Amino acid sequence: MGDAGAQGEFGQAALAHLDRLYAFAHALARNRQAAEDLVQETYLRALRSRRRPGPDENLRGWLFTILHNVWRNEVRRRRPESLDAHPEWAAALVAKGPAAGEAVEGQRTAVRLAAFVDALPEHLREVMVLRFGEGFSYQRIAEILGCPAGTVMSRLARGRALVRQAFGSWNGHGPREEGR
Amino acid sequence: MTGCEGARALVPAYVDGELVGEDLRAFESHLAGCPGCREALHAETAMAEDLGRSLAAPTAPPELRRRVADSIGAAERRRSWWWPAAAAAVVAAAGWVAVARPLPARPASELVSVAVDSHLRYARGQLPLEVRSDRAEEVSAFFAGRVPFHVVLPDYPAPLGEPKPYALEGGRLVAMRGDYAAYVAYRMDGQPISLLVTSSSLATPAGGELVRSGALTFHLESQAGLNVITWTDNGLTYALASDVSVEGARSCLVCHGSREERRKIDGFGPRT
Repeated sequence: MGDAGAQGEFGQAALAHLDRLYAFAHALARNRQAAEDLVQETYLRALRSRRRPGPDENLRGWLFTILHNVWRNEVRRRRPESLDAHPEWAAALVAKGPAAGEAVEGQRTAVRLAAFVDALPEHLREVMVLRFGEGFSYQRIAEILGCPAGTVMSRLARGRALVRQAFGSWNGHGPREEGR
Repeated sequence: MTGCEGARALVPAYVDGELVGEDLRAFESHLAGCPGCREALHAETAMAEDLGRSLAAPTAPPELRRRVADSIGAAERRRSWWWPAAAAAVVAAAGWVAVARPLPARPASELVSVAVDSHLRYARGQLPLEVRSDRAEEVSAFFAGRVPFHVVLPDYPAPLGEPKPYALEGGRLVAMRGDYAAYVAYRMDGQPISLLVTSSSLATPAGGELVRSGALTFHLESQAGLNVITWTDNGLTYALASDVSVEGARSCLVCHGSREERRKIDGFGPRT
Protein backbone atom coordinates (compact mmCIF):
# COMPACT_ATOMS: atom_id res chain seq x y z
CA MET A 1 0.00 0.00 0.00
CA GLY A 2 1.00 3.54 -0.44
CA ASP A 3 2.82 3.21 -3.71
CA ALA A 4 1.71 5.17 -6.70
CA GLY A 5 0.49 2.06 -8.46
CA ALA A 6 -2.12 1.50 -5.78
CA GLN A 7 -3.51 5.03 -6.17
CA GLY A 8 -5.93 6.21 -8.78
CA GLU A 9 -5.58 9.33 -10.86
CA PHE A 10 -7.46 11.38 -8.30
CA GLY A 11 -5.36 10.09 -5.44
CA GLN A 12 -2.11 10.87 -7.19
CA ALA A 13 -3.29 14.33 -8.16
CA ALA A 14 -4.41 15.01 -4.59
CA LEU A 15 -1.17 13.71 -3.12
CA ALA A 16 0.78 16.18 -5.23
CA HIS A 17 -0.60 18.96 -3.01
CA LEU A 18 0.47 17.39 0.26
CA ASP A 19 3.38 19.73 0.97
CA ARG A 20 1.32 22.84 0.36
CA LEU A 21 -1.59 21.56 2.42
CA TYR A 22 0.78 20.74 5.24
CA ALA A 23 2.30 24.22 5.06
CA PHE A 24 -1.15 25.78 5.30
CA ALA A 25 -2.15 23.42 8.10
CA HIS A 26 1.01 24.36 9.95
CA ALA A 27 0.30 28.04 9.45
CA LEU A 28 -3.14 27.56 10.95
CA ALA A 29 -2.32 25.19 13.79
CA ARG A 30 1.29 26.28 14.42
CA ASN A 31 1.93 22.85 15.77
CA ARG A 32 3.35 19.91 13.89
CA GLN A 33 1.15 17.23 15.34
CA ALA A 34 -2.01 19.27 14.89
CA ALA A 35 -0.97 20.09 11.32
CA GLU A 36 -0.45 16.42 10.52
CA ASP A 37 -3.83 15.51 11.98
CA LEU A 38 -5.45 18.29 10.01
CA VAL A 39 -3.90 17.20 6.72
CA GLN A 40 -4.77 13.57 7.27
CA GLU A 41 -8.37 14.45 8.05
CA THR A 42 -8.49 16.65 4.95
CA TYR A 43 -7.49 13.75 2.72
CA LEU A 44 -9.97 11.44 4.40
CA ARG A 45 -12.76 13.93 3.77
CA ALA A 46 -11.69 14.44 0.18
CA LEU A 47 -11.54 10.73 -0.48
CA ARG A 48 -14.92 10.12 1.11
CA SER A 49 -16.54 12.92 -0.85
CA ARG A 50 -18.65 11.78 -3.76
CA ARG A 51 -18.50 15.22 -5.31
CA ARG A 52 -15.07 15.75 -6.66
CA PRO A 53 -13.80 18.70 -8.60
CA GLY A 54 -14.24 18.34 -12.32
CA PRO A 55 -11.53 18.84 -14.91
CA ASP A 56 -12.14 22.58 -14.99
CA GLU A 57 -12.22 23.02 -11.26
CA ASN A 58 -9.26 23.69 -9.07
CA LEU A 59 -8.32 20.58 -7.11
CA ARG A 60 -5.83 22.48 -5.00
CA GLY A 61 -8.37 25.12 -4.03
CA TRP A 62 -10.91 22.41 -3.27
CA LEU A 63 -8.47 20.63 -0.95
CA PHE A 64 -7.53 23.89 0.77
CA THR A 65 -11.21 24.64 1.30
CA ILE A 66 -11.77 21.25 2.91
CA LEU A 67 -8.74 21.74 5.12
CA HIS A 68 -9.87 25.15 6.26
CA ASN A 69 -13.40 23.91 6.94
CA VAL A 70 -12.08 21.05 9.04
CA TRP A 71 -9.84 23.46 10.90
CA ARG A 72 -12.52 26.08 11.50
CA ASN A 73 -15.36 23.74 12.38
CA GLU A 74 -13.64 20.97 14.27
CA VAL A 75 -9.96 21.01 15.04
CA ARG A 76 -9.64 24.56 16.31
CA ARG A 77 -12.62 24.15 18.60
CA ARG A 78 -11.40 21.09 20.36
CA ARG A 79 -7.70 21.77 20.43
CA PRO A 80 -6.12 24.20 22.86
CA GLU A 81 -3.46 26.23 21.12
CA SER A 82 -0.02 24.77 21.47
CA LEU A 83 2.78 26.41 19.58
CA ASP A 84 5.87 24.60 18.47
CA ALA A 85 8.77 26.03 20.44
CA HIS A 86 11.20 25.61 17.59
CA PRO A 87 9.44 25.23 14.28
CA GLU A 88 11.37 22.82 12.12
CA TRP A 89 10.76 24.97 9.07
CA ALA A 90 12.97 27.73 10.46
CA ALA A 91 15.97 25.48 10.08
CA ALA A 92 14.68 24.27 6.74
CA LEU A 93 14.42 27.83 5.49
CA VAL A 94 18.04 28.50 6.26
CA ALA A 95 19.09 25.23 4.71
CA LYS A 96 17.15 25.89 1.49
CA GLY A 97 17.96 29.58 1.10
CA PRO A 98 20.00 31.17 -1.66
CA ALA A 99 23.46 29.70 -2.02
CA ALA A 100 25.77 32.66 -2.32
CA GLY A 101 26.17 36.42 -2.30
CA GLU A 102 23.21 37.85 -0.43
CA ALA A 103 22.33 34.45 0.87
CA VAL A 104 22.86 35.07 4.55
CA GLU A 105 20.82 38.26 4.69
CA GLY A 106 18.17 36.73 2.47
CA GLN A 107 17.85 33.73 4.71
CA ARG A 108 17.74 35.86 7.79
CA THR A 109 14.97 37.98 6.28
CA ALA A 110 13.03 34.90 5.23
CA VAL A 111 13.20 33.36 8.69
CA ARG A 112 12.21 36.60 10.35
CA LEU A 113 9.37 37.16 7.90
CA ALA A 114 8.08 33.62 8.42
CA ALA A 115 8.21 34.07 12.17
CA PHE A 116 6.47 37.41 11.87
CA VAL A 117 3.63 36.03 9.76
CA ASP A 118 3.41 33.07 12.12
CA ALA A 119 2.81 35.46 14.99
CA LEU A 120 0.02 37.37 13.25
CA PRO A 121 -3.58 36.85 14.35
CA GLU A 122 -5.16 33.93 12.55
CA HIS A 123 -7.46 35.99 10.32
CA LEU A 124 -4.44 37.87 8.95
CA ARG A 125 -2.07 34.92 8.98
CA GLU A 126 -4.28 32.77 6.80
CA VAL A 127 -4.74 35.37 4.06
CA MET A 128 -1.03 36.17 4.03
CA VAL A 129 -0.14 32.49 3.66
CA LEU A 130 -2.76 31.85 0.98
CA ARG A 131 -1.74 34.91 -1.03
CA PHE A 132 2.04 35.01 -0.68
CA GLY A 133 2.80 31.40 0.14
CA GLU A 134 0.31 29.79 -2.22
CA GLY A 135 -0.35 32.48 -4.79
CA PHE A 136 -4.13 32.12 -4.71
CA SER A 137 -6.25 34.91 -6.17
CA TYR A 138 -8.39 37.07 -3.90
CA GLN A 139 -11.50 35.31 -5.13
CA ARG A 140 -10.08 31.85 -4.52
CA ILE A 141 -8.93 32.85 -1.04
CA ALA A 142 -12.43 34.13 -0.34
CA GLU A 143 -13.85 30.76 -1.41
CA ILE A 144 -11.41 28.84 0.74
CA LEU A 145 -12.08 30.96 3.79
CA GLY A 146 -15.79 31.37 3.14
CA CYS A 147 -15.73 35.17 3.32
CA PRO A 148 -16.23 38.04 0.85
CA ALA A 149 -13.35 38.97 -1.46
CA GLY A 150 -13.46 42.47 0.01
CA THR A 151 -12.64 41.01 3.41
CA VAL A 152 -9.65 39.23 1.91
CA MET A 153 -8.43 42.47 0.38
CA SER A 154 -8.75 44.46 3.59
CA ARG A 155 -7.00 41.75 5.62
CA LEU A 156 -4.19 41.58 3.10
CA ALA A 157 -3.79 45.35 3.24
CA ARG A 158 -3.60 45.14 7.01
CA GLY A 159 -1.07 42.31 6.87
CA ARG A 160 1.10 44.19 4.41
CA ALA A 161 0.97 47.31 6.54
CA LEU A 162 2.07 45.36 9.61
CA VAL A 163 4.97 43.83 7.69
CA ARG A 164 6.11 47.26 6.51
CA GLN A 165 5.72 48.62 10.01
CA ALA A 166 7.93 45.87 11.40
CA PHE A 167 10.50 45.61 8.61
CA GLY A 168 10.45 49.02 6.95
CA SER A 169 9.97 49.51 3.23
CA TRP A 170 11.72 47.27 0.75
CA ASN A 171 14.31 48.85 -1.49
CA GLY A 172 14.45 46.15 -4.11
CA HIS A 173 17.07 44.12 -2.26
CA GLY A 174 15.31 43.58 1.02
CA PRO A 175 13.77 45.56 3.83
CA ARG A 176 15.62 48.80 4.57
CA GLU A 177 15.66 47.91 8.22
CA GLU A 178 18.17 45.23 7.27
CA GLY A 179 20.61 48.02 6.72
CA ARG A 180 21.34 47.65 3.05
CA MET B 1 -7.33 56.71 -10.44
CA THR B 2 -6.05 60.14 -9.58
CA GLY B 3 -2.33 60.89 -9.65
CA CYS B 4 0.31 59.25 -7.52
CA GLU B 5 -1.98 58.78 -4.53
CA GLY B 6 -4.43 56.78 -6.59
CA ALA B 7 -1.65 54.80 -8.25
CA ARG B 8 0.02 53.91 -4.95
CA ALA B 9 -3.25 52.51 -3.69
CA LEU B 10 -3.33 50.16 -6.65
CA VAL B 11 0.24 48.90 -6.32
CA PRO B 12 -0.60 45.86 -4.12
CA ALA B 13 -3.42 44.74 -6.40
CA TYR B 14 -1.12 45.15 -9.41
CA VAL B 15 1.60 43.06 -7.77
CA ASP B 16 -1.00 40.43 -6.91
CA GLY B 17 -2.19 40.28 -10.52
CA GLU B 18 -5.65 41.48 -9.55
CA LEU B 19 -5.74 44.71 -11.51
CA VAL B 20 -7.77 44.50 -14.72
CA GLY B 21 -9.51 46.61 -17.32
CA GLU B 22 -9.40 50.37 -17.20
CA ASP B 23 -7.71 50.41 -13.79
CA LEU B 24 -4.85 48.35 -15.21
CA ARG B 25 -4.45 50.53 -18.27
CA ALA B 26 -4.56 53.75 -16.24
CA PHE B 27 -2.09 52.37 -13.70
CA GLU B 28 0.43 51.29 -16.31
CA SER B 29 0.04 54.54 -18.16
CA HIS B 30 0.79 56.48 -14.97
CA LEU B 31 3.66 54.17 -14.14
CA ALA B 32 5.37 54.83 -17.46
CA GLY B 33 5.82 58.48 -16.55
CA CYS B 34 6.32 58.32 -12.80
CA PRO B 35 9.67 57.14 -11.36
CA GLY B 36 8.37 57.47 -7.81
CA CYS B 37 5.51 55.04 -8.39
CA ARG B 38 7.83 52.67 -10.24
CA GLU B 39 10.04 52.64 -7.18
CA ALA B 40 7.03 51.95 -4.99
CA LEU B 41 6.11 49.09 -7.31
CA HIS B 42 9.61 47.60 -7.11
CA ALA B 43 9.52 47.79 -3.33
CA GLU B 44 6.11 46.13 -3.16
CA THR B 45 7.21 43.43 -5.58
CA ALA B 46 10.36 42.74 -3.56
CA MET B 47 8.36 42.46 -0.36
CA ALA B 48 5.90 40.06 -1.98
CA GLU B 49 8.75 37.93 -3.30
CA ASP B 50 10.43 37.80 0.09
CA LEU B 51 7.15 36.87 1.73
CA GLY B 52 6.65 34.15 -0.87
CA ARG B 53 10.09 32.71 -0.20
CA SER B 54 9.61 32.89 3.54
CA LEU B 55 6.29 31.07 3.42
CA ALA B 56 7.43 28.31 1.08
CA ALA B 57 8.30 25.98 3.97
CA PRO B 58 7.59 23.63 5.59
CA THR B 59 7.29 20.43 3.62
CA ALA B 60 5.30 17.47 4.85
CA PRO B 61 7.16 14.98 7.04
CA PRO B 62 7.87 11.67 5.25
CA GLU B 63 5.82 9.74 7.78
CA LEU B 64 2.76 11.88 7.05
CA ARG B 65 3.27 11.38 3.32
CA ARG B 66 3.35 7.64 3.82
CA ARG B 67 0.19 7.64 5.93
CA VAL B 68 -1.70 9.82 3.46
CA ALA B 69 -0.54 7.73 0.52
CA ASP B 70 -1.71 4.60 2.33
CA SER B 71 -5.09 6.19 3.02
CA ILE B 72 -5.48 7.17 -0.60
CA GLY B 73 -4.55 3.71 -1.82
CA ALA B 74 -6.98 2.03 0.55
CA ALA B 75 -9.80 4.47 -0.20
CA GLU B 76 -9.37 4.18 -3.95
CA ARG B 77 -9.53 0.42 -3.75
CA ARG B 78 -12.63 0.46 -1.57
CA ARG B 79 -14.24 2.95 -3.89
CA SER B 80 -13.54 1.02 -7.05
CA TRP B 81 -14.63 -2.22 -5.45
CA TRP B 82 -18.17 -1.06 -4.82
CA TRP B 83 -18.98 -0.11 -8.35
CA PRO B 84 -18.75 -3.44 -10.10
CA ALA B 85 -19.84 -5.14 -6.91
CA ALA B 86 -22.94 -2.99 -6.69
CA ALA B 87 -23.65 -3.48 -10.35
CA ALA B 88 -23.20 -7.18 -10.07
CA ALA B 89 -25.34 -7.24 -6.97
CA VAL B 90 -28.25 -5.85 -8.88
CA VAL B 91 -27.85 -8.51 -11.48
CA ALA B 92 -27.29 -11.27 -9.01
CA ALA B 93 -30.50 -11.07 -7.13
CA ALA B 94 -32.60 -9.19 -9.58
CA GLY B 95 -34.32 -11.94 -11.35
CA TRP B 96 -34.84 -9.73 -14.36
CA VAL B 97 -36.12 -12.02 -17.07
CA ALA B 98 -35.97 -11.05 -20.68
CA VAL B 99 -38.90 -11.45 -22.98
CA ALA B 100 -37.46 -11.94 -26.42
CA ARG B 101 -38.34 -9.34 -29.01
CA PRO B 102 -37.36 -9.88 -32.62
CA LEU B 103 -35.59 -6.55 -32.99
CA PRO B 104 -32.03 -6.01 -34.22
CA ALA B 105 -29.64 -5.32 -31.38
CA ARG B 106 -27.80 -2.03 -31.38
CA PRO B 107 -24.56 -1.10 -29.67
CA ALA B 108 -24.89 0.08 -26.10
CA SER B 109 -23.93 3.66 -26.94
CA GLU B 110 -27.58 4.64 -27.21
CA LEU B 111 -28.26 2.95 -23.89
CA VAL B 112 -25.31 4.77 -22.36
CA SER B 113 -26.55 8.09 -23.72
CA VAL B 114 -30.04 7.46 -22.39
CA ALA B 115 -28.60 6.38 -19.03
CA VAL B 116 -26.40 9.47 -18.78
CA ASP B 117 -29.18 11.80 -19.84
CA SER B 118 -31.60 10.19 -17.40
CA HIS B 119 -29.05 10.34 -14.61
CA LEU B 120 -28.29 14.01 -15.16
CA ARG B 121 -31.95 14.91 -15.34
CA TYR B 122 -32.68 12.93 -12.20
CA ALA B 123 -29.77 14.53 -10.37
CA ARG B 124 -31.12 17.97 -11.34
CA GLY B 125 -34.60 17.07 -10.15
CA GLN B 126 -35.96 17.09 -13.69
CA LEU B 127 -36.86 13.43 -13.91
CA PRO B 128 -39.55 12.65 -11.37
CA LEU B 129 -39.87 9.06 -10.28
CA GLU B 130 -43.11 7.29 -11.05
CA VAL B 131 -42.71 5.04 -8.08
CA ARG B 132 -40.83 6.33 -5.08
CA SER B 133 -39.97 3.72 -2.53
CA ASP B 134 -37.00 2.11 -0.84
CA ARG B 135 -38.79 -1.24 -0.94
CA ALA B 136 -37.49 -3.38 -3.76
CA GLU B 137 -40.71 -5.32 -4.21
CA GLU B 138 -42.79 -2.16 -4.52
CA VAL B 139 -40.54 -0.77 -7.23
CA SER B 140 -40.45 -4.14 -8.95
CA ALA B 141 -44.25 -4.29 -8.97
CA PHE B 142 -44.38 -0.94 -10.73
CA PHE B 143 -42.50 -2.30 -13.74
CA ALA B 144 -44.70 -5.38 -14.10
CA GLY B 145 -46.47 -5.21 -17.44
CA ARG B 146 -44.89 -1.85 -18.28
CA VAL B 147 -41.60 -3.12 -19.67
CA PRO B 148 -41.11 -6.14 -21.91
CA PHE B 149 -39.20 -8.08 -19.26
CA HIS B 150 -39.85 -9.25 -15.77
CA VAL B 151 -38.43 -7.16 -12.95
CA VAL B 152 -37.61 -8.36 -9.47
CA LEU B 153 -35.25 -5.89 -7.82
CA PRO B 154 -32.91 -7.28 -5.23
CA ASP B 155 -32.66 -6.50 -1.60
CA TYR B 156 -28.95 -6.06 -1.63
CA PRO B 157 -27.25 -8.03 1.11
CA ALA B 158 -24.81 -5.78 2.94
CA PRO B 159 -21.44 -7.36 3.64
CA LEU B 160 -21.11 -8.72 7.14
CA GLY B 161 -20.41 -5.96 9.63
CA GLU B 162 -20.75 -3.16 7.08
CA PRO B 163 -23.59 -0.74 6.47
CA LYS B 164 -25.63 -1.11 3.33
CA PRO B 165 -23.65 0.81 0.71
CA TYR B 166 -26.57 2.26 -1.20
CA ALA B 167 -30.31 2.82 -0.91
CA LEU B 168 -33.07 2.29 -3.43
CA GLU B 169 -35.10 5.43 -4.16
CA GLY B 170 -37.59 4.35 -6.80
CA GLY B 171 -38.06 3.97 -10.52
CA ARG B 172 -39.76 5.09 -13.69
CA LEU B 173 -40.10 4.29 -17.34
CA VAL B 174 -37.76 5.89 -19.84
CA ALA B 175 -38.49 5.93 -23.55
CA MET B 176 -35.98 4.13 -25.71
CA ARG B 177 -36.33 3.06 -29.31
CA GLY B 178 -40.08 3.17 -29.30
CA ASP B 179 -40.33 1.11 -26.15
CA TYR B 180 -39.67 1.58 -22.48
CA ALA B 181 -36.55 0.89 -20.51
CA ALA B 182 -36.64 0.56 -16.73
CA TYR B 183 -34.95 3.39 -14.85
CA VAL B 184 -34.08 2.67 -11.22
CA ALA B 185 -32.65 5.31 -8.91
CA TYR B 186 -30.30 4.51 -6.07
CA ARG B 187 -28.34 6.74 -3.76
CA MET B 188 -24.92 6.15 -2.30
CA ASP B 189 -23.39 8.55 0.21
CA GLY B 190 -25.91 11.17 -0.79
CA GLN B 191 -25.16 10.90 -4.50
CA PRO B 192 -27.56 9.45 -7.08
CA ILE B 193 -26.78 6.29 -8.96
CA SER B 194 -28.87 5.42 -12.00
CA LEU B 195 -29.53 1.97 -13.38
CA LEU B 196 -31.12 1.62 -16.77
CA VAL B 197 -32.30 -1.79 -17.95
CA THR B 198 -33.47 -2.87 -21.34
CA SER B 199 -33.62 -6.01 -23.41
CA SER B 200 -30.39 -7.28 -24.94
CA SER B 201 -32.29 -7.43 -28.21
CA LEU B 202 -32.31 -3.62 -28.15
CA ALA B 203 -28.79 -2.94 -26.94
CA THR B 204 -25.61 -4.82 -26.21
CA PRO B 205 -22.53 -3.48 -24.40
CA ALA B 206 -19.60 -2.42 -26.54
CA GLY B 207 -16.34 -0.56 -26.10
CA GLY B 208 -14.90 0.97 -22.96
CA GLU B 209 -12.55 -0.67 -20.54
CA LEU B 210 -13.40 -4.27 -19.85
CA VAL B 211 -13.65 -5.65 -16.35
CA ARG B 212 -14.43 -9.30 -15.95
CA SER B 213 -16.06 -10.23 -12.70
CA GLY B 214 -17.21 -13.77 -12.20
CA ALA B 215 -19.08 -14.74 -15.34
CA LEU B 216 -19.89 -11.12 -16.22
CA THR B 217 -18.00 -8.68 -18.36
CA PHE B 218 -18.42 -5.02 -17.47
CA HIS B 219 -17.71 -2.22 -19.93
CA LEU B 220 -16.48 0.92 -18.18
CA GLU B 221 -16.52 4.28 -19.90
CA SER B 222 -16.90 7.96 -19.16
CA GLN B 223 -19.46 10.24 -20.72
CA ALA B 224 -20.41 13.77 -19.75
CA GLY B 225 -18.22 13.52 -16.69
CA LEU B 226 -20.00 10.41 -15.46
CA ASN B 227 -18.76 6.90 -15.13
CA VAL B 228 -20.94 4.40 -16.89
CA ILE B 229 -20.82 0.64 -16.62
CA THR B 230 -22.73 -1.50 -19.09
CA TRP B 231 -23.09 -5.22 -19.12
CA THR B 232 -25.44 -7.89 -20.30
CA ASP B 233 -26.81 -10.85 -18.45
CA ASN B 234 -29.64 -13.27 -19.00
CA GLY B 235 -30.95 -11.48 -22.07
CA LEU B 236 -30.92 -8.02 -20.54
CA THR B 237 -28.53 -5.12 -20.91
CA TYR B 238 -27.77 -2.79 -18.01
CA ALA B 239 -26.21 0.66 -17.75
CA LEU B 240 -25.18 2.01 -14.38
CA ALA B 241 -24.36 5.73 -14.31
CA SER B 242 -22.89 7.78 -11.51
CA ASP B 243 -20.16 10.26 -10.81
CA VAL B 244 -18.57 7.83 -8.41
CA SER B 245 -14.97 7.33 -9.35
CA VAL B 246 -14.07 4.07 -11.00
CA GLU B 247 -10.51 3.06 -11.54
CA GLY B 248 -11.25 0.30 -13.98
CA ALA B 249 -10.13 -3.24 -14.15
CA ARG B 250 -6.96 -2.76 -12.17
CA SER B 251 -8.84 -1.58 -9.12
CA CYS B 252 -11.01 -4.65 -8.94
CA LEU B 253 -8.05 -6.91 -9.28
CA VAL B 254 -6.13 -5.09 -6.58
CA CYS B 255 -8.83 -5.87 -4.08
CA HIS B 256 -10.09 -9.11 -5.46
CA GLY B 257 -7.17 -10.69 -7.17
CA SER B 258 -6.76 -13.41 -4.58
CA ARG B 259 -8.93 -16.48 -4.58
CA GLU B 260 -10.32 -15.47 -1.21
CA GLU B 261 -11.28 -12.01 -2.41
CA ARG B 262 -12.64 -13.19 -5.72
CA ARG B 263 -15.29 -15.09 -3.83
CA LYS B 264 -16.74 -11.77 -2.74
CA ILE B 265 -17.32 -10.80 -6.33
CA ASP B 266 -18.42 -14.23 -7.37
CA GLY B 267 -21.01 -13.99 -4.65
CA PHE B 268 -22.55 -11.13 -6.61
CA GLY B 269 -22.42 -13.03 -9.85
CA PRO B 270 -25.37 -14.25 -11.87
CA ARG B 271 -27.54 -17.03 -10.67
CA THR B 272 -27.05 -20.31 -12.35
